Amino acid sequence: MSRIDTVNAVPAQGLNVVQASDVSAAELTLRADAVVIGSGAGGAVAAYELARKGLDVLILEAGPYVPSTEFSEDFNDSLERLYQDHGGQTNKEGDLLLLQGRCVGGSTVVNGCVSFRTPDFILEEWGEKFGLTNISPEAMRPWFERVEEHLSIKENGEHEIAMHSRLVRDGARKLGWSVKPFKRNIRECALTGHCLSGCKTDRKQSMLVTYLPWAMAHGARLHSDTRVTRILENGGRAVGVKAEVVGHDGIKVADMHVDADIVVLAAGAVQSPLLLQSSGLANRSGQVGKNFACHPSMYVAAKYPHEVYPWRGALLGVYVDEFLTPEKGGFILEAGGLGAVEMCLLNEPGSGKPFLQFMEEARYKSGIVTLIHDHNVGEIRWDNGRKVVDYKVADSDFPSMLAALKASAEIHFAAGAEKVFVPSVEKLEINSVDEIDTVLAKLENKPQRLRLVSYHPQGTLRMGADPANSVVAPHGETHDVKGLYVTDASLLPTSIIVNPQVTVYALASYISSEILKRT
Amino acid sequence: MTTKQQADAAVAPLASLSRRKLLKTALWASAGTALVVAGGFAWLRRSPVDELPAPDGLKQLSASEYHLFRRAIEVLLPTDGTLLTPVAQIPVIANIDHLMGLVEPAIREELGIALGLFDNAAVFSGLHGKRFVDLDDEAALRYFDVWSAGNTLQRTLATVVKKFVYVSYWRDPATWPPIRFDGAVSDRWGIPSLGNSPLPDESVEVTA
Repeated sequence: MSRIDTVNAVPAQGLNVVQASDVSAAELTLRADAVVIGSGAGGAVAAYELARKGLDVLILEAGPYVPSTEFSEDFNDSLERLYQDHGGQTNKEGDLLLLQGRCVGGSTVVNGCVSFRTPDFILEEWGEKFGLTNISPEAMRPWFERVEEHLSIKENGEHEIAMHSRLVRDGARKLGWSVKPFKRNIRECALTGHCLSGCKTDRKQSMLVTYLPWAMAHGARLHSDTRVTRILENGGRAVGVKAEVVGHDGIKVADMHVDADIVVLAAGAVQSPLLLQSSGLANRSGQVGKNFACHPSMYVAAKYPHEVYPWRGALLGVYVDEFLTPEKGGFILEAGGLGAVEMCLLNEPGSGKPFLQFMEEARYKSGIVTLIHDHNVGEIRWDNGRKVVDYKVADSDFPSMLAALKASAEIHFAAGAEKVFVPSVEKLEINSVDEIDTVLAKLENKPQRLRLVSYHPQGTLRMGADPANSVVAPHGETHDVKGLYVTDASLLPTSIIVNPQVTVYALASYISSEILKRT
Repeated sequence: MTTKQQADAAVAPLASLSRRKLLKTALWASAGTALVVAGGFAWLRRSPVDELPAPDGLKQLSASEYHLFRRAIEVLLPTDGTLLTPVAQIPVIANIDHLMGLVEPAIREELGIALGLFDNAAVFSGLHGKRFVDLDDEAALRYFDVWSAGNTLQRTLATVVKKFVYVSYWRDPATWPPIRFDGAVSDRWGIPSLGNSPLPDESVEVTA
């Protein structure tokens, strides 16, 4: 292993990224102590933690480098430039939109900054069912504290609770339900409401402005537009990767070969298992790509008798955790804003004039995002060279979906809403509390019935002590291939109900320490 | 007969089908005489619009897809008499054409088949014996609503067409002032960038 002891200054803005446009050779051969696949939550943290201890780290990111100065605050433009499949990634049935960042910084660039620790009961369950006693609530506490300190994670102040969130808070309080301000990874939020399009003024503490520049200050190199096609293995040990550098026009610029003793896989819970499947590695258990969960979400909108302007102010203000534990329902409700384009996609007020009236009244709308503790029933796999996200809401999870819908409607009406729009494909509206059960009874757990969005793919390379039913060992290394580590949300053996970014940051920090122990 | 029952009856033979390789079969089985060719359909009914060319400049949409979306825009976005930006002032078709260019080629092929099905299925759906492009406004709107409440395939196709149309209208900033959507604000408000965060203090290490 080489040792890099020089620490450079962090540039005031931007990153020195090698992009496809910088590559002139048709073949590149590089050497590093550790090659990190992906520059999102898991990859960036691992890169920094390894680089600051002197390892020569190379980060490969499939997506483009888009500096924040180029963010447009236009959601459509952002979908096309910053998201996987231009924002069009769906499950097999096409009724669940799976939004993942695909750019330098990954999903951390386009998330809503919501920062939860993993619930204690989830970590305890992982210990009991998967032998992960090494990441108990007590053991993880210092890692949570570390990333919270690094990323300026703190509770929303009152000025960060916009009108749409105040309504949800008022409604929940009237019902006697627990409601709390979010914690977010942000400095001096400018209240633009454009989190999902990237933070143009670098207030969001995404990987783009934190762990990546810090890793590079410690000597890490970052190549964007570089898609790893295969992880290389020799004698049961990871020895590097093969990759392709692809220009923004889709044309391959160069082949890349990287020699490295450590491979850190952090391409996200969809791409990471696909890469292992392509590489034919680490699948003795047969679990690679299995156990996919995603927190299928709905946006439950309501019309109020007064203006709300759901696009104004901090995007996410408060959440209702009254139903967090499985025995109380296993879901949380998040007060969330949204813009015009998102609004036109998430509801069905009817065709023609009813739709136009719905949009004319857009500023009177407020909404609640539902997140449920879904079972790990999905699978990610290749099918004739095409990625398949095989996921349907399990029948056993549908009652939680309905309960979350019902609770959202109750909050809206308690807050004074005139009408609640069920996020279904057909027109379904609720005009009073008395109608909630009757309307929701019309819903069935069938494809293309609800309008679902997922921001949280997870579970496809699950961590566990038993090599027979898990892919990754408790310290983060795959059971089958030495030197191959995983640090993204693929690890999570069950869905965690809450937004997973802090869980990934903390696990990546912990696993990096385990890598360093073994180096 | 309820809306859902009408929908189920309309395209009952398609009820269990949702995958692309079955789409052609679905139409074939339903219409009996349909001539299905790779990537598209021979029309079950001719339409006057079949003789009309698509405008120059389209890179992705076929002429038949253009006519379908043109009709869908007319019925889904009746902005006349509203405060909204007139649909004629927004390049909705050009925006749809752009979006089509972002679709993965294999899915784009499926989409072409699916759009052909959406247009043709109106012939045998019990509505008017016409393709979607020839339905009058009332029937076309009803077609959308019936399909939105129909079987999986119907719901999928109605949703796909609506999403293309809606997004391609509302993505244009010219549509935002009437609904008072603010759009981009950071530059307008003069918000300075905070840039990269400084290196953290690492004087204390985690001791696990």
